[in-house]
Amino acid sequence: MTHTLRKTLLFILLFFWILITVYGWFQIREESNPTLKTVTIGFQAGDEFDIAKSRGKFATKMEKKGYKVKFKEFQNGAAMMQALATGNIDYARVGDTPPVSALAAGTKLTYVAAGGTKEKGSGIVVKKNSGINSMADLKGKRVAYTKGTSSQYMVLRALKTAGLGINDIKWVNLDQDAAAVAYSKNKVDAWANWDPTVAQVEITENSKLLVNGQQAGAVNRSFIVSPSKFAKNHQSLSKLVIKYGEQDMHWANTHHKQVIKLMTKELKLSKKVVTLEIERRTFGIYKMNDKYVKEEQEIADMFYQSGVLNKQATVAKHVDYLK
Amino acid sequence: MDNTIILKKINFSFRKIIPWIIPIVIILFWQLIVSVGWVSATILPSPWDVLKDGAELTVSGELPKNMGISLYRATVGFVIGGSIGFVLGFINGLSKIARLAFDSTVQMLRNIPHLALIPLVILLMGIGEPAKIFLVAIGCMFPIYINTYHGIISVDQKIIEMGHAYGLKQSAMIRKIVFPAALPTILMGFRYALGVMWTTLIVAETISSSSGIGYMATNAEQFMDMKTIILCILIYALLGKLSDYIAKNFEIIFLEWRG
Repeated sequence: MTHTLRKTLLFILLFFWILITVYGWFQIREESNPTLKTVTIGFQAGDEFDIAKSRGKFATKMEKKGYKVKFKEFQNGAAMMQALATGNIDYARVGDTPPVSALAAGTKLTYVAAGGTKEKGSGIVVKKNSGINSMADLKGKRVAYTKGTSSQYMVLRALKTAGLGINDIKWVNLDQDAAAVAYSKNKVDAWANWDPTVAQVEITENSKLLVNGQQAGAVNRSFIVSPSKFAKNHQSLSKLVIKYGEQDMHWANTHHKQVIKLMTKELKLSKKVVTLEIERRTFGIYKMNDKYVKEEQEIADMFYQSGVLNKQATVAKHVDYLK
Repeated sequence: MDNTIILKKINFSFRKIIPWIIPIVIILFWQLIVSVGWVSATILPSPWDVLKDGAELTVSGELPKNMGISLYRATVGFVIGGSIGFVLGFINGLSKIARLAFDSTVQMLRNIPHLALIPLVILLMGIGEPAKIFLVAIGCMFPIYINTYHGIISVDQKIIEMGHAYGLKQSAMIRKIVFPAALPTILMGFRYALGVMWTTLIVAETISSSSGIGYMATNAEQFMDMKTIILCILIYALLGKLSDYIAKNFEIIFLEWRG
């Protein structure tokens, strides 16, 4: 290659590089509005706030009250608890186990609201042709779960409900994507998980729920938690979040068709999978009550007794009932 | 006579093809095992499916947007980290005292896995863009630092003595002798840092993000969207190759004097 040609080529490449970089910067730039107070809400794909965000009404209503809502997406509850502990988010929509683990680790967080459950869409899945038809059949089988998540609680709870011991099954700790491959290739016999993955596995892997959360006694409720200091000073804001959030959840429960369309696009899953998930799920955002606290305390107790956590958390001490 | 020229030409174009043989064979083999059904397409989608997924995401605008954002984070991180690494390496290469003061600290920090740094980065920089750029900057800093530093301390003493003999002043000495002599090593660091830039970016984009190629990959992982996972892997491979190509050309242009 001649020298001028090389230089020209390099110049063109660098030019496009810079062009795309500037384009990227324009995509990510956030316009700040100094008259509004920013509220940062952490969420996970497909959850209550993902619906509220995609629908768009939540942010508009909050803006009228003087708040700019910033939605921050997280890949898992543990990462969200980390961001919460360092004060980077004001509200976090998490599953049932991450706040318990965070409390046991000494994070100063407060439960401000509870969400709906996934009791019909969480559980232990097995292949239809595996010959496993009851919890008793799981004896000696390999069960995939992810440590510290509600899948671990699901298995512990299901074993207890069925009168089995912790060591009656072979525990296989795998991340979501590794577990997906292991399950599909029959390297594990069962997999504890939740929707939409459960729905997807049921449809694409010829599988069934051996036991769901309702039967096992692990309802897999979602919660909204805040840094304790923030929760204490922003009770009226928390009430607004619950009020407007609940309005979106009511809409979601009564407009399944739109929610399915919205989530199919957002999650990039097949419509069949999303339909199965949405049809068996009830959305909601409620004020905390004793029932929800009891559910969380049961998780804390069981995790402590089985050695998942090395400290016992007392959930009731960290709840804001928002009268 | 004519024949040998033609043969040489054929030989030349064949040489250009050689590097692509292995990737192409792998892709063909991959398409084959999926098409024949040795591997289930839900576990490993075929290259053709991946390509279709890429085309769909490009049309919907998602892929260009995420690539732009990733490129922005990578470039800014690279520029910041690279500059710091270069300056630090240069100073430590020239001054013994600076070397004693900084080098062992840098060497300690160098080997910390980026994944382990995430909680600390969140604590220091939050969860926004600065945190991601910071992590990329850290990743790019070390290769450039080490190579600049080594490039300078291993400049041949004889040419430095020659410079003294010619009565060169300190600044002229650095400009005319030390820097050019260290340049090949520095550019090697530059090339290596461009590679590290992409690997760090994947890690950086797992910190609460809703955009970027790394986000696309982790999000796809969450929902077992194998097509997009593999698409992202291929994009990383191509971007890595492209940055390496750019770096290699810089080397050729800047080191022209070596002949």
